Amino acid sequence: MSSLTQLQLELAAFLQRRSLLENDREASAWATRTLTGSSSLSPVQQLEIYREQFWLRHTSSLVEDFPGLSGVLGQRAWERLIEGYLERHPPTHFSLRDLGARLPAYVADQSWLEQRDLCRDMAALEWASIECFDAPDTEPLNPAELQQIAPEAWTQATCVLNPALRLLRVAYPVAELRRALKRSRVEGGTVSYPDKKPENLVVYRRQRELDVASVSTGARDLLEGFAAGKPLLEAVEGVVRSGHVTESELGPWLTALLRDFAANGWVTRVELP
Amino acid sequence: MSQVSPGRVRGGTSQLRVPLLGVGVGLRVPHYAYILRERPRVDFFEIISENFMVAGGKPLYHLDRVLESYPVIQHGVSLNIGGPAPLDRDYLTRLKALVRRVQPAWLSDHVCWSGADGAHLHDLLPLPYCSEAVDRLVERASMVQDFLEVRFALENTSSYMTYTASTLTEWQFVSEVVDRADIGLLFDVNNVFVSSYNHGFDALEFVRNVPHERIVQIHLAGHTNLGTHIIDTHRGHVHDAVWALYREALRQAGAPVSTLIEWDDEIPEFEVLMAEAERAKQEQALALGSAAGD
Repeated sequence: MSSLTQLQLELAAFLQRRSLLENDREASAWATRTLTGSSSLSPVQQLEIYREQFWLRHTSSLVEDFPGLSGVLGQRAWERLIEGYLERHPPTHFSLRDLGARLPAYVADQSWLEQRDLCRDMAALEWASIECFDAPDTEPLNPAELQQIAPEAWTQATCVLNPALRLLRVAYPVAELRRALKRSRVEGGTVSYPDKKPENLVVYRRQRELDVASVSTGARDLLEGFAAGKPLLEAVEGVVRSGHVTESELGPWLTALLRDFAANGWVTRVELP
Repeated sequence: MSQVSPGRVRGGTSQLRVPLLGVGVGLRVPHYAYILRERPRVDFFEIISENFMVAGGKPLYHLDRVLESYPVIQHGVSLNIGGPAPLDRDYLTRLKALVRRVQPAWLSDHVCWSGADGAHLHDLLPLPYCSEAVDRLVERASMVQDFLEVRFALENTSSYMTYTASTLTEWQFVSEVVDRADIGLLFDVNNVFVSSYNHGFDALEFVRNVPHERIVQIHLAGHTNLGTHIIDTHRGHVHDAVWALYREALRQAGAPVSTLIEWDDEIPEFEVLMAEAERAKQEQALALGSAAGD
């Protein structure tokens, strides 16, 4: 290993330490050997500038990406969570956009969090929003093309979902809570933790704007079937088996849902075998 | 609208023929609506490449609208050209896709490293100014320029630490890298000022001893003086001492150089940025008029 590479590996490790380097004998000794210092800063103080920036930059980026989660937690718990997260999952991607990719799973593992399930749901909602924000663009479904599909061909047709769409099952009404937190930041006031209220959320982007919708369990199962690449018939059979819709209701139910999915831009293409 | 600089050559080794774009500003989110609505008279915009290396959505939509009306150049912050690991092929592939979309007259990143051992620290960390670092940067900068098929430039950074392992001054280091790699220099005179304050060297010596014929662009920005050191915050107006360095850099270059106003913290109304760009044009006229009269 070259001396330059050795220096960089050691320096990178110091910058990711959580506590002040001035109180760290190993860091001080390393800095004295490696850095010159200046007329107003000692070598370890120079190093500390970069360490502090490492934490500030990444915690600021996460606050921006997860305003709902940080709002639920409050300053102290948020800092504890994020410092632990960055220590466990140091940034590895060139883009700060991907910094929070593992945060929902990390939150789910933190038994010390008072409202862990609520926090897990909020983190999942906010990460889904980031993923949808800059996912590939797609053209909306063309109704004329649908009319050309023969009725008997529909059973094997595959409905392709918008790449800027994510499906979430949450235990708490986090979309509503996130909107309330946003309002409170502008208008003031406090926001209480909500009670449990399981929901099926569709996070999606349409016309460049993000939105969140709550859907029925049957609609969720159908969308999950589409997301898994199942043909329409197989996806519908799954919904019927789960008892969310009876066979007698199926025709009008499915027609209405597919119309809504297309109107919302959730289904963007229908593929035939 | 664009002009081409005269291709000044030092030592007969290079022809850095890049267009002279005038004075531009950084394209930042708070200004998107204003720019697309008012179409202000801006010579060019500079984007942070990484903000647009995405699949779709608002970032690329807004970029495409801006590209319809303005020249755009790309500036990167995450190439990690001086890091211990080889260059990230995925990063370069995505960067090249953006280059094809933007068609910039040149593309730049920094003389720095940003990560090691798998971690990306998202910082512009200084390198020791030594031959091993020069060799690493030269090899990679040439490779980047060839791969992207666009004029590549490296920017001198602000720094808050210096290494005992350095054997060159910063200007010797930067000059050797851009000369040997045959690339452009994005000369940030605010960074020169910040580093000169932090490390106690003569900023004018830096300005006078870089290869001026390789300067494809100049960056100007505000900074924050904390007493013990200055942080390159890109906040506030360009300081008078930095304007003075700018005039000297132009005098040394002997011709106008495409110049960019960076303002990334406490971002003001767009008109404030435009006024700063207008000041840069006045300073250019002042500097080059003075040079002609000398």
